[in-house]
Amino acid sequence: MLKYFKKILLIIFINFLDQSISSFLSNFYIIFPLTFLAYTFYVYRSDKNINPSEAFVIGLFIDLISESYFGLHALIFCVVTYIINIYANAFKLFSYLQICIFFGVLSTAYVGFTQLIINLYNFSYLMLFISAIFCTTFCIFIAALRVFFPKTSKITI
Amino acid sequence: MARISPTFSKKISFSLFIILSTCIIIFDITSSSFQDIRNSFKSFKISSAYVIKTISIEPISSIKQKLKSKNNLIKENKYLKDALEKSYIDNYLLSRENSFFKDHEMINDSFISSEYNFFYKIAQLKSLDPNMYKCCDKHRMFVEIIEESNNDIYQSAVFNNLGLVGQIINKKSPYEVLLLTDINHSIPIKTESDEFFCNAKGSGRSDIIICSFNPLMWDEEMKLETTIFSSGLGGIYPRNIEIGAIKQIINVDSNQTDIEIELFSSPMESDLFGVLKF
Repeated sequence: MLKYFKKILLIIFINFLDQSISSFLSNFYIIFPLTFLAYTFYVYRSDKNINPSEAFVIGLFIDLISESYFGLHALIFCVVTYIINIYANAFKLFSYLQICIFFGVLSTAYVGFTQLIINLYNFSYLMLFISAIFCTTFCIFIAALRVFFPKTSKITI
Repeated sequence: MARISPTFSKKISFSLFIILSTCIIIFDITSSSFQDIRNSFKSFKISSAYVIKTISIEPISSIKQKLKSKNNLIKENKYLKDALEKSYIDNYLLSRENSFFKDHEMINDSFISSEYNFFYKIAQLKSLDPNMYKCCDKHRMFVEIIEESNNDIYQSAVFNNLGLVGQIINKKSPYEVLLLTDINHSIPIKTESDEFFCNAKGSGRSDIIICSFNPLMWDEEMKLETTIFSSGLGGIYPRNIEIGAIKQIINVDSNQTDIEIELFSSPMESDLFGVLKF
């Protein structure tokens, strides 16, 4: 129960952060899907397959708190979860750069799809292109953090 | 890597949820059926934010606001008090209603001719030892002239909004004021009838000066509560300024009578003083 409560709080916090920075970044034609990237990172880091019902419920919850159409995030999250689950074993063969590009493309697809649904009449390829570069760069930056700040673990004998 | 062992995805259940999501989104876009839920959540969000803000931030900000407004009020109060005192001093000499001068002719003439045969400055109190003033013989205070100019104010009379308090006895700022009650101070006084003159010396007691005279030389009978004025003979204080009232008459012997005069003014009544040179 506590685990789910923590997840909900984390989702609310990340979504709040997402909405806070989106108005600033939109001045530079950038849409930065922080909530989506956080969710994909969660799925990617998960040791087991994420249940489609979990993806659906999280998506619906994000639809509710982000005031978008119901089902939009539920649909995207289900698809993304399925894709990541398919590639979960193949990621072992990928380099960090390839994984970063993969998530950059995913987030670009997310931006494009959401823009098509909620902002069809003002759809901008320039915004999509810049967002793609920005998201990929962000993923590379996050991956670089792992290299420069490796995780330390205790060795138990 | 994220997963060590191979995992397999459930295609059918994913397909079902994707179809369900698609149906929901199409239904929402075409019919806006979930608008009520969105509105309810929005109102809940606003109410929650308001409640949280009221509980957590408001008390802190209100305390801060109160402190700030209190400080502003104190500053404003001090500023207004200073301005008021200054205006009292300013108006005191020029007011027709005050009893600073015995004869109002001088003031009336000044008003008519628009020329004053005296100048005065406003001075700020810098130092006054109240314990010394209450207990001991040496009654001094130090003042500083606001808007200093080149005019020489050595031996100028010092007054506040109640009357005379003393005279300046040095030439450099901060100016030392010899108070009327200092035992080294002496002020020429007279009665309203101009039939009695005397030099009143400081008693070393607060608000009291003493005049010793030979009753055989003066015909006028002294009574309690008689108002005493400056005679202007010393050249320091202007003539006919109210000094105080007789508080006590002591017949020391047949050749000496002491009268104690209680001053109308006290240097402890205000922070601002007028320095009068005529």
